[in-house]
Amino acid sequence: MADVCNPCDRRWQMRVLTDDEVNADLTLLDQAWSEPETFAFLPRKHGLATGWIEHALEAIPPQMSQGHFALLTSGSTGLPKLVVGARARAEAIVEVLHTLQASGPVARSFLMLPLTYCYAFVNQWLWARRHGRELVQTRGFADPQQLETLLDRTAEAMLCLVGGQAAMLPKLFGDRTFSGIIRLHFAGGRFPQEHLDRLERMFPEAAIFNNYGCAEAMPRLTLRPARASDSALNIGTPLPGIELATTGSGELSFRSPYAAVGFVDGDGWQGVRSDAFVATGDFAARAERGQWILSGRANEVFKRYGEKIAIPQILERLLPAWPGQMASYQEVDRSGEQGFVLVLCPVATEVQVHAILRLLRAHFTRSHWPLRIESVPAIPLLANGKPNPGVLRNDPSKTMHWHQRV
Amino acid sequence: MSNREKLQAMLVSVFLLEESEFSFARQRGEVDTWDSLGVVALAVGIEESFGYHCRPEEANALRSFQDVLELLERKGISFVE
Repeated sequence: MADVCNPCDRRWQMRVLTDDEVNADLTLLDQAWSEPETFAFLPRKHGLATGWIEHALEAIPPQMSQGHFALLTSGSTGLPKLVVGARARAEAIVEVLHTLQASGPVARSFLMLPLTYCYAFVNQWLWARRHGRELVQTRGFADPQQLETLLDRTAEAMLCLVGGQAAMLPKLFGDRTFSGIIRLHFAGGRFPQEHLDRLERMFPEAAIFNNYGCAEAMPRLTLRPARASDSALNIGTPLPGIELATTGSGELSFRSPYAAVGFVDGDGWQGVRSDAFVATGDFAARAERGQWILSGRANEVFKRYGEKIAIPQILERLLPAWPGQMASYQEVDRSGEQGFVLVLCPVATEVQVHAILRLLRAHFTRSHWPLRIESVPAIPLLANGKPNPGVLRNDPSKTMHWHQRV
Repeated sequence: MSNREKLQAMLVSVFLLEESEFSFARQRGEVDTWDSLGVVALAVGIEESFGYHCRPEEANALRSFQDVLELLERKGISFVE
């Protein structure tokens, strides 16, 4: 498959580890971290155009060839980025977090997110490595019975979740309690404030935190003990040494001694100067007591079940299967998570829709799939020539071809 | 369309399978799209297609497409051709 990272077919010098091989043998990561050479850790299935990864790896400057690591992210703009971090900085932020979160008593960390996520990689794998703690691999909600058994039998454990997973917990485990979890962290999207009472009942011994950051921050910027605010949008205060600021338009940016040293995007290598502010892609405002409140996200880029969804990137990947126009509008699913509806124009045939579905399955995980695929004879437009999502949403001429049933 | 065909069509749509990939013997571990959201989609698909409200713990316990068929049979839906 064109967009699958095959470690056996490397044409670049940097060592590349894929999630498949690391999931099968976690010692590969330890080994890579122990050796001086910079390495990349990437999902095998990444949904990017052929050659994107190879070109990105080749763009990393030779002075980064030792002591660094590279992770793939959709970045603050929603477009793909290969983010390069310095190992020493990542280890330093682990120590800051260990102290701030009083993680000393934690003996093990349960992995319920892909390890290629910067959040899981630094907050869990690197933390476990630095502090000699056990990292327990799970299949997450894909195997709830295994997860329930593990949670039931553990003691002094930490869980790191994304906000969207909070709603799944009561659905899967009802009123069960897991007193072996003593730290519960949320990152990746909106904090599940509305589930907090239930989370506290399910994890009665856990200190619960809202974490905020991004891959470019490697990965954390702020911390908020869950009960320090009643607002899901409150991200708390910056970690020591980290500065937050907003631009004139209200976009949140940061300056951090732990940040990525650079990244590769569509424009090539972009080094991050240590004195520079980096955009987060979120809008925010300063609140009382040094706290920050998020106010929104850039259009067409949003978090869904903790994953950043960039609609333009998905539509671009579907172009080979659809010769006509594509538009979208946003909608929430049954769990209250933001999603989008793909609208084709003109009216599609079942064969064409099937080709689109095949591409979705091949290149994206389910959270990136549209909630529905519809088609219309003509796309209603705004005065500026762009599709009018409000009219599109209620267009009586729409035909629904497929729906995700979530 | 028989109930068996209706069930097959629903499973193919929920998990984005090719018709040629489909078999009732297919196990959960063999279907890459049978993830946590896939469990939710399956439960909704069962309700939409057969009117049976599948509880989350029932949907979670399903380990194969044959399990889905047997669950529905236990609820009185016949798959006899």
